[in-house]
Amino acid sequence: MPRLPPSLFWRASKEISPLAARLLPVCRDLQSAANELRWIREHVKSTQSPVPDGLRFWSLVEKRATGVPLQYVLGNQPFGDLDILCRRGVLIPRPETEAYTLHIANILTKSSSTPLNILDLCTGTGCIPLLLLHSLLASPSVAGPISLHGVDISPHAVRLARENLAHNIRLGLLPASIQGPNSSSLGSGNPSQNPNPYYTLKFTEQDIFSPSFLSSHFPSSQQPSTQPSTQSNPQPTSKDMPKNDLDLLISNPPYISSSAFTSRTTARAVRQHEPRLALVPDPISSLLTAYSRESSHSGGSSQKVYESCHPADVFYARLAEIVGMVRPKRVVMEVGGWGQAMRVVRGFVVDGWGSHNSFSTHNMSSGDGSGYESSESKSGSGSGSGSDGLLGSGRGQGEYEIEVWRDEPAGENDAKHWAVVDQREVAVRGRGLARVVYLVRRDCWEEDEGRKG
Amino acid sequence: MLAAPWVCRSCMVSLRRVGRAQFIRRFSTESAPNLPPALLERARKLTVEHDQLTAGLENDFDPKKAKRMGEISRVASALKEFEKAKAALGELHGLLESDDAEMRELAKDDLAATNAQLAESSHNLSVALTPKHPFADMPCLLEIVPGPGGTEGRYFADSLFHMYKTYCANKGYRARVVKYEASDSDGSTGSEGEIPLQEAVLEVQEQGAYDVFRGEAGMHRVQRVPATEKSGRTHTSAVAVWVLPSFPESDVTDFEADWDKPESDFYIDPGEVKSEKMRAGGAGGQHVNKTESAVRLTHIPTGIAVSIQESRSQQRNREIAWRLLRSRIAQKRREEREEAARQLRNSVLASSQITRGDKIRTYQFQQDRCTDHRSGANVHNLPDVLRGGETLGKVMESVQTWLVNKDIQGLIADEEAAAVVEKKRK
Ligand SMILES: C[S@@+](CC[C@H](N)C(=O)[O-])C[C@H]1O[C@@H](n2cnc3c(N)ncnc32)[C@H](O)[C@@H]1O
Repeated sequence: MPRLPPSLFWRASKEISPLAARLLPVCRDLQSAANELRWIREHVKSTQSPVPDGLRFWSLVEKRATGVPLQYVLGNQPFGDLDILCRRGVLIPRPETEAYTLHIANILTKSSSTPLNILDLCTGTGCIPLLLLHSLLASPSVAGPISLHGVDISPHAVRLARENLAHNIRLGLLPASIQGPNSSSLGSGNPSQNPNPYYTLKFTEQDIFSPSFLSSHFPSSQQPSTQPSTQSNPQPTSKDMPKNDLDLLISNPPYISSSAFTSRTTARAVRQHEPRLALVPDPISSLLTAYSRESSHSGGSSQKVYESCHPADVFYARLAEIVGMVRPKRVVMEVGGWGQAMRVVRGFVVDGWGSHNSFSTHNMSSGDGSGYESSESKSGSGSGSGSDGLLGSGRGQGEYEIEVWRDEPAGENDAKHWAVVDQREVAVRGRGLARVVYLVRRDCWEEDEGRKG
Repeated sequence: MLAAPWVCRSCMVSLRRVGRAQFIRRFSTESAPNLPPALLERARKLTVEHDQLTAGLENDFDPKKAKRMGEISRVASALKEFEKAKAALGELHGLLESDDAEMRELAKDDLAATNAQLAESSHNLSVALTPKHPFADMPCLLEIVPGPGGTEGRYFADSLFHMYKTYCANKGYRARVVKYEASDSDGSTGSEGEIPLQEAVLEVQEQGAYDVFRGEAGMHRVQRVPATEKSGRTHTSAVAVWVLPSFPESDVTDFEADWDKPESDFYIDPGEVKSEKMRAGGAGGQHVNKTESAVRLTHIPTGIAVSIQESRSQQRNREIAWRLLRSRIAQKRREEREEAARQLRNSVLASSQITRGDKIRTYQFQQDRCTDHRSGANVHNLPDVLRGGETLGKVMESVQTWLVNKDIQGLIADEEAAAVVEKKRK
């Protein structure tokens, strides 16, 4: 990072306050320093403590000045209309995540089907299912029960996610839920207060790579189906829970390769203060040793897949397996830029990650966000794979329609153009960097398009 | 004048009262207080309409008609007052012709008072006829932007910002800082410790604030010796103050508030707005953790752009940005319409109008003086002005009076222009 000119420090302390000069090295410019100082002051004023305000203010500024992210210093981050508690050891929610979460919530409210069944993998603070819940409850068109489930491997994350539900109920931003009989209890359910909100939201501590993960969630989707099934009969429905068909699988998994993590692609504040577990997929060996024995009977090929794909993409390979078995109606996966988006699309299009050693050798570094134009022409890489994947190889084929969303998916009048990946056309929506790979099952997609036309 | 809590109605009434006093003085020193025939004609027409509506409503209540009646009842009753005063004066003039010397003396004594009454009722009638500014009942945004040039203007922009902020505090008006951005390109602070301001937006949240502050719009000029000036030379710089109608956040009232209807001044087609998040380059997502989520909106047809990074909340910034954009566009549409109206009446009236370039007020530090170029008000005690004290209040009131009179003149001109058109057609 370039050194800041001394005059800037002098100005910060003269024009704003001496404390602003303390923040300058982490904030990098006067405006941000002034903003953060104001936010810290507002935070001190709005919270109570036996410690005098002046002292608290000063010590928070000092803490921020050491480089600790403001969200950890103040302990929260606004996310949509919600207030998400943040703590060291759990990733801070990002504005990009907020944007596409609101976007998919909007899509869900327009699709009529309730009850809704939503699964968030790698949930962290729980921000995604919490905001989805908030948006869905605010929509008059969502009538039926909503069932949400957040999964994370980290006990800290799961604890914080549960706290976040209770916290937002306390703030009056979410209603207390009527707990289903078999969901783990969270929040302070008070049915008499809220006659209507019928939802369940639970957070559980699980490793999504564990073979038992799938069986625990989808007892009926045990057989891995490399041959896409006809998906004719929906899962049996029970009376008090939404039907087992998954309406949305959403995930913001760790997606930074360890080399991008140590390079300048990843900001220093992220590297030094946020948990590596949340950002970098674990080295393959340690990730799998624990399960290799167990998984040999079903996903025997998995390990090979994880080893051969790009190191940043390990979680997407797993998500592809899960999608193959569960066939959710919609899938939203956050990605780190155009290069990664294209690799993920390819992985789904050819229904194979392992057979595609080539995509780790493409000169698209993970998450640099550039190289969009160049990769557009890269249609028809030498895969020559005869079998269509979940997505088929041509537009209008396969079981799923696929899209890439940029940072602002709803921007510019829902701008849309096409990119060609392995001879398959992919819709690209919005403005900014590539941020989400979106799959939508053809039956739902046709429904959505019909509504638009 | 008023203590908190603020009631805008009474404030406007008392402002009008000041206006009336001056108007009367002017009228009564001049000879006959005659209303222009065009205005009188209009008042008569409206009164006829009013009486018809009243009669009609007795049989059959129609809310639309009732609303219209309410709007013009002011005119009808003002006309009745005016005619009463005129009749009284006629009677008095008869008495002046009387053979009885004592009678004549008595009549003479009453003449001044009756003249004053006529002047007042004729002014009231003009005010009643003047259409209320469409944004008059709304809260407002004060936007303060330094003019081009040196740091002096930026420091003074900060002074004006504090002036209005403390003025609101003194008056008990609820006000909120929407935006307050320091400029990034200069050195030291001003002689009073001001910071160089790049742009500030203050929202005065009271209903009717637009009417109270609309006279503040325009270029404010400052003349003083900057702290850094060694030779003691006086510098002149300028700061623009724009007054925009603000869209009330909660309790939506019936006036322009239907912003989602295309006919509203506040309506914006979302498809015409480009929305960007301003993020400092890089890969975004998990790779960076920026605290700010600034939002920038650009209205493509007009090129009007706003950028907001007041709050940590992206949602909140977006809301603020949309509100500000709506206000700016509504103001622009209004100005365009006013400009068209002005051109229409230019043939009749060559009065000065506030346009974006005109200097409206000068703050002269050496002479401790503040002069408003429109109302001609000239006050001393600049420190009190800049503290938002009563001295500023006086200047603002003088402008209110000026605005009301200008509106009346505009109305007269409009009516005369219309009459000319009418005549030609015949
Ligand atoms: C990038 S963070 C996303 C957090 C949150 N969803 C958000 O968007 O802010 C990834 C999360 O995945 C969790 N995680 C890492 N490995 C996992 C695994 N094998 N199974 C489940 N969760 C895992 C981490 O603990 C971390 O909370």
